[in-house]
Amino acid sequence: MTENFQNHQIRDRIKIEYRYTMGGQSKFFIEIMKNKKLFGTKCAKCGKTWMPPRINCSDCYKPAEWVELKQTGTIQVSTIVWYTTSAFIKAIPYGIGFIKLDGAETALFQGIFSENLVPSKIKKGKRVKAVFNKEREGKMTDFFFVPEDEYENWISQPEFEGGV
Amino acid sequence: MSRKVAIIGIGITPFRARYLDKTYFELAYDATKLALEDANNNGAEITHHNLESTVYGIYNELFERQFMPDIFINSYIGMNNKPGTRIASGGATGGYTVRMAYSEVASGLSDLCLCLGVEKCNDCYDEQTGVTTPEVLNAIAYSADMTYEYPMGMMAASSYVSMVNAHFEEFGNPTEEQMAYVSVKNHGNAMLNSKAQSPMEVTVEDVLNSRIICYPFKMLDCCLYSEGSAALILASEEKVRELKIENPIWITGVGAANTDCFIGNREDMGRLYSNIYAAKAAYKMAELDYNKIKNQIDLAELHDAFSGQEVISYEELGFVPFGEGGSWIEKTFEKPGEGPWREGELPCCPSGGLIGCGHAVGATGIMSTGEAALQLRGEAGKHQVSIEKGRAISHSIGGPGAAYAAVIVMANKEGLK
Repeated sequence: MTENFQNHQIRDRIKIEYRYTMGGQSKFFIEIMKNKKLFGTKCAKCGKTWMPPRINCSDCYKPAEWVELKQTGTIQVSTIVWYTTSAFIKAIPYGIGFIKLDGAETALFQGIFSENLVPSKIKKGKRVKAVFNKEREGKMTDFFFVPEDEYENWISQPEFEGGV
Repeated sequence: MSRKVAIIGIGITPFRARYLDKTYFELAYDATKLALEDANNNGAEITHHNLESTVYGIYNELFERQFMPDIFINSYIGMNNKPGTRIASGGATGGYTVRMAYSEVASGLSDLCLCLGVEKCNDCYDEQTGVTTPEVLNAIAYSADMTYEYPMGMMAASSYVSMVNAHFEEFGNPTEEQMAYVSVKNHGNAMLNSKAQSPMEVTVEDVLNSRIICYPFKMLDCCLYSEGSAALILASEEKVRELKIENPIWITGVGAANTDCFIGNREDMGRLYSNIYAAKAAYKMAELDYNKIKNQIDLAELHDAFSGQEVISYEELGFVPFGEGGSWIEKTFEKPGEGPWREGELPCCPSGGLIGCGHAVGATGIMSTGEAALQLRGEAGKHQVSIEKGRAISHSIGGPGAAYAAVIVMANKEGLK
């Protein structure tokens, strides 16, 4: 084509609404919402404890049973995010990481909040504890982790509380 | 018994931040046309009518604003009434697409197969900030687990950085300086590649001083999302002879593996077992040795979405022992004949890689395979590296926690194992 190119753009947005079921994992979210408890699952055969929970063991194809886990754990790896997606850009900087709850064999991805958010404060090996929102909807965003030495300060804030 | 498969046509469009004058299917058409022209320059006399099937590599429906974008490309490139299969494996889409196109020919289903990747990400636009990037990153972040990861702000960089940080905790590297060397190398290599999006002369200090994205990744440690397309025409051995192709590049090994997409489920977070298994499978098929691979190939086009990931890949792909990736690049700086530099013992990403060329996701692994093939032909132009052994590899990784991996081994002589 020899004609001079003129660009044309159209504004659009894709929006889909959901009410998605958590299926066999539903209990995990109900326990967070109603009882501030963190439940994993333990394979009836090999004994592996899954967190996030799976009602079926992916290693040995046997059912896994619900077990309540402690709300303390150890950071396996973490980072602090300074530039991110449109959905979270207003939240920067924020800490995230993989936390192995005491008694679990897999690590849970979660937000790690701190009064002093620097890499050394949330690095591997640091002990953390779960803090819950007072208003809970049965979602992963109902709770987060804080360094153990900041726990009392966090749960004394009006919008948060400690687990059971 | 599977059949031998060769790359006989290579078509790569420039990778750019944005094509205002092309849709994704128009870009795919351009790459297909380039690949056909290339095949014809090498002795074939074919048109798209001779292509028997297509394997499409397209990552993200939200980028293209279209589900099943492959069928719309299929129409636009004139491939109606022939089989077309789409592959979508995150950042590894390109490598996986080459693997499946190889299978299409090796199995005997097709004698001439089009392997076509495309992506057009920067039509995503964040109205809130008035720029594209946060919305592009959001469209990618939907690749994280939507229940357990996305709601906490997981994104591509924070996913990859987890492995790099865990590797650092275990081995004390890669340091921020060692990662910066990858950025210096790949931005610099891209200066010789006319199709690259980010050719730049940068220093280690420039990288260290660039804006923090996700600790410890800085802006210049990260590839840019890109728009572009890449196509390969794959032919059976019989077709290579029938068409009298002058310089076929034989695919001698394909390997792929998916490690656990939940990083928290991995016993060892500091390395990608998908890379290790994919590399070992590809090398075994090509009758190469994982522990000697550095001396058996002339170059590697790696998946350097993030600088630190390239350093870890040196180890996972068998170039250096575990824990020595960082020192391999750092200590060889300004030492011709050593390390992963352009003139080094094993040039890594002579094209500029993703950091230098950009990351047009579905096209990327096909671009890097095509780049490696051009190098083996001696037709890479200004960024041509020395070819002595006649073998090269391309490497693709992607997905949540970089769970997907694919490795392709190529050779420029038939029967060269």
